[in-house]
Amino acid sequence: MSFARREQNLALIGAVVTGAVLATGLLLLVLSRVNPAYTARLRGAATDLVAPFWATVRTPFDALGNGIDRVGDYVGTVPRLRRLTLDNAALRRAVQDRDAVAAENRALRRLVAVASPHVDIITIARFAGSSSGSYVRTAMIAAGNRNGVFAGQAVRADVGLVGRTVEAGASAARILLLTDPTSRVPVVVVRTGQAALAVGAAGPLLEIRDRAGAEIPLRRGDRLVTSGAGGLFAPQIPVAEVVDVGDAPRARPFADPGALDFVAVYRAYLPVPEAPVVVSTVPVPREARKK
Amino acid sequence: MTSPATSIFRLRSPDDQVWAWRAALQRMVPAAVTLALIVATTVPIFVSVPIMPDLGLLAVIVWASFQPRLMPPWLAFGVGAASDLVTGTPLGVGATLLPLVVVFVRLVDARFTSHRYAYDWLFTSAVIVGAAVVEWRLLAFAGVVGPLAPLLIRAATTILAYPAVVALAARVERRLAAA
Repeated sequence: MSFARREQNLALIGAVVTGAVLATGLLLLVLSRVNPAYTARLRGAATDLVAPFWATVRTPFDALGNGIDRVGDYVGTVPRLRRLTLDNAALRRAVQDRDAVAAENRALRRLVAVASPHVDIITIARFAGSSSGSYVRTAMIAAGNRNGVFAGQAVRADVGLVGRTVEAGASAARILLLTDPTSRVPVVVVRTGQAALAVGAAGPLLEIRDRAGAEIPLRRGDRLVTSGAGGLFAPQIPVAEVVDVGDAPRARPFADPGALDFVAVYRAYLPVPEAPVVVSTVPVPREARKK
Repeated sequence: MTSPATSIFRLRSPDDQVWAWRAALQRMVPAAVTLALIVATTVPIFVSVPIMPDLGLLAVIVWASFQPRLMPPWLAFGVGAASDLVTGTPLGVGATLLPLVVVFVRLVDARFTSHRYAYDWLFTSAVIVGAAVVEWRLLAFAGVVGPLAPLLIRAATTILAYPAVVALAARVERRLAAA
């Protein structure tokens, strides 16, 4: 076989392989479009590989940061103490009022027999990775199936809602952050009681869409909390604060993942029932069935 | 180039066999470095603007341009699929984009052979911006619809990261050539 022929054959094989590779890529893309869940296990495994790496790498930096914070605590202690003493007095009064309201609320709920599901905390985990590449805004945490974390659970910090878990491996999970464009959180405007959706926009702010009663204007500083609709997030978790009241109102999330080290994972407020809901047990006549 | 998988391999001397294994492993080094760069971009720092450069794309372009044999399209496919899994992008976006980039770079390099630094940087910039637009469409096809602006911001930071990645790739290649 001559070298020229060999070269030609190699070039042909190369072109065929390239075509096959591109076709496979497009096939994966189509599968992603049709059924995004089909790679769940593969994704879980990838998360498992990456998260421990960052959990380890960030440890010395966290220690350093904590040390600096500890030194910083000594600076300006006296003014801070005075301020906190004042705050404490004000908060004590607020707590007393709140206790009365809470007791009244409990009594009223008992009166009308409101069922409020118990909200379980599953685990508290450390951030171990982020993805702010294209639009995708996800974070990884160092807790997975082994800790009881599965896809479809709520993630929050003390200041507010962080997002939801979308993939889980054995020891790590991926969180869809509020700012991801595919994130949609049913919220309520606290001041007006309007229901709306807080939609991620791949930027720092959330868009407020589908607000009930859009003719009532929003105000800057209006607080948005979860409504509990959809059953994933429990009601009354702080989500965001309105900062832009134009035609497309926008809000800034309370929880900034960059400022958080640890987050808590909660069981879904009202989990989706395992078995499909049976609407009717009356058998469908043969003539009415679709061929 | 006899790979350890062929039958002729067993007829070689032990020294030759070791050498062949080393050569086979060395061919995997660029892919390994690219994967390491992709993992490095998942560092847990949260910024609301996507300023993290796409180091994986950059590494693939650099190797496809300087050492095309070390970054064939099928390897770019593997790197892209791994990148999709690691960064949480719909699987298939990177796995389609990176082989396309390699094919494009090879086609252009077959016609223009200038490898002056400024030319390379400019050419890479053009490829990166083009890749951002293609990625935008691929993401939209996979169901993640959004504006183009964040991708262009990332394209800009990726272009700025070019010198660092070229320096890294050059170091790795020098080490490979010396070994």
